[in-house]
Amino acid sequence: MHAATDPLAIVDHEGKERPAGKIQPYWNPYLAGIGLGLVLLASFVIMGRGLGASGAFSSLVATGVNAINPAHARANSFYVDYLGDGTSNPLMDWLVFEVIGVFAGGFISGALAGRLKATTEKGPHISPRGRLGYAFFGGALMGIGAKLARGCTSGQALTGGAMLNLGSWTFMLAVFAGAYAMAYFVRRQWQ
Amino acid sequence: MRTHLSRLTPNQALGLGALILGLGALLIGNPSGGATATIDARELARIVQTEVDHVKPVELADWIIKGKADFRLIDLRSTEDYAAYHIPGAENVEPTSLMDYGLQRNEKIILYSDGGIHSAQAWFLLKTAGYRGSYILLGGLEGWKDEVLFPHLPASPSREEMATFEQSREVSTFFGGTPRTGTASDQPSATQALPKPEMPSSPAARAAAGPPTRKKKEGC
Amino acid sequence: MSAPFYKFGLFGDNIGLVIAFVIGIGFGFFLERAGFGNARILAAQFYFTDLRVFKVMFTAIVTAMLGLFYLSWIGFMDLALVYATPTFLLPQVIGGLILGFGFVIGGYCPGTSAVSAATGRVDGMIYLVGLITGTFVFGEFFPLVERFYVATPMGRVTIPDILSLPYGLVVFLIALMAVGGFAGATWIEKTVAAKRGAVKP
Repeated sequence: MHAATDPLAIVDHEGKERPAGKIQPYWNPYLAGIGLGLVLLASFVIMGRGLGASGAFSSLVATGVNAINPAHARANSFYVDYLGDGTSNPLMDWLVFEVIGVFAGGFISGALAGRLKATTEKGPHISPRGRLGYAFFGGALMGIGAKLARGCTSGQALTGGAMLNLGSWTFMLAVFAGAYAMAYFVRRQWQ
Repeated sequence: MRTHLSRLTPNQALGLGALILGLGALLIGNPSGGATATIDARELARIVQTEVDHVKPVELADWIIKGKADFRLIDLRSTEDYAAYHIPGAENVEPTSLMDYGLQRNEKIILYSDGGIHSAQAWFLLKTAGYRGSYILLGGLEGWKDEVLFPHLPASPSREEMATFEQSREVSTFFGGTPRTGTASDQPSATQALPKPEMPSSPAARAAAGPPTRKKKEGC
Repeated sequence: MSAPFYKFGLFGDNIGLVIAFVIGIGFGFFLERAGFGNARILAAQFYFTDLRVFKVMFTAIVTAMLGLFYLSWIGFMDLALVYATPTFLLPQVIGGLILGFGFVIGGYCPGTSAVSAATGRVDGMIYLVGLITGTFVFGEFFPLVERFYVATPMGRVTIPDILSLPYGLVVFLIALMAVGGFAGATWIEKTVAAKRGAVKP
């Protein structure tokens, strides 16, 4: 799969052939996509639900709020949705375990391909500190948007997309529209 | 043709594959078969034989007492019979309107009629229409009366029988029935007074219902 | 045997959690393989230099969509038993826009930031902190936006439902759109690369 003669192998994203070092190029996007699609399909077949990510962090936040101020958490129906009726630990949740798996899977793949590296991904014209500020702010916007839209790129776009869910496709168009509209203003960060 | 195909790059081949499968979908149209339901007769026969499609009256009573809400109980009898008595929480749906009643295919549906014939027929109807979670109350309303409302203790009970009877006595009182002991009361249940068809409210039931609990989110 | 297995009671919640972990590993693995642990690759989508996000995402959607369709057609899978998020059109459009802003500003989405943090990217880790903060902010302000959150409810509705089109036709159109989109995306990448090559030799 990684042999240079394999027509499916692709050069890295900068369009350069990597020297025959440790670091492998990323996969052909269509192969990675099929892999991702099959994982999603497996989740449908085995569990009857799709993938997700943002929900796990909501469970985490709800658990934290509940630990500090239970009455406050109980009075807020957003937290209650993730805390359940109190009969089970909100962290013993499907999405929480799935996201722990995502960390593990990402680490495994990165390690096998020699891509583990403590670094900050950024364009050449921005300081690492500036990039981290953007990362924090973008993450916060993502948290708000994902909750308002009832899911993120995994839970809505991928999962709902495959199920032809009307809301998910509308959501997907809105995501691309929002990102393209904003791209010009933060181009310094990436280019 | 062959040479054309072999000239495709792998990416193009994948794209072509997706298009061919998409074209197949276009021709098939409806993935769940639509009006022409496909019945897996062998699968149905297996279900019937292994009796996994049954719910015992005692089990149902237990669920009602515990306030479980993950099923819908359907009374297939006439409106008059339903008004006279029905199992607490049951909805009255006559077989003719079953399909338009708005049941979900992913719901657990428990059917009952007087005996077992109507519910068995309705069960087949639902199964063939893709309602996979359909169940029959074993023995129908007769079974419910015999085992839950008016349980009876055999003439010379063993210790074990005594113990189970004590349990049934509680369940029976919960639903407003009368337990029968000894041979004297071994009469047909029709002579017994039927309780009012309302949801009983005992401390246990209220505790089980409690404040409206919310299930945890299934989505993101 | 019928799918989804969990909904037919083949195993309980605890086994479900183990399966969640295993499925998560698969998810994270392929995200990383696709290059989505790297914010520069994800952001490149929005500057037309590398349209991997579009390619990977739509390949995954088409794969799972076709899989679901055929598994349902052969009677193995009951689509009605698969959980689908109900549609609330307006909050989903506004939420999607905000999420899109966050995507290009932060460089990740929640799933990909987990992969990036796991492979050592500091920006991914900070992004996760931001994500948790944002979720907390949303939670605290939830009582204020609750009415908007449940606005325009449409229930569980699919594109074939709303357009009254056969399911298979929509599947075909999406597959067609995706394959056409892939060809277009590759063309755009080449054009942009040629332009940039001309500007910066």
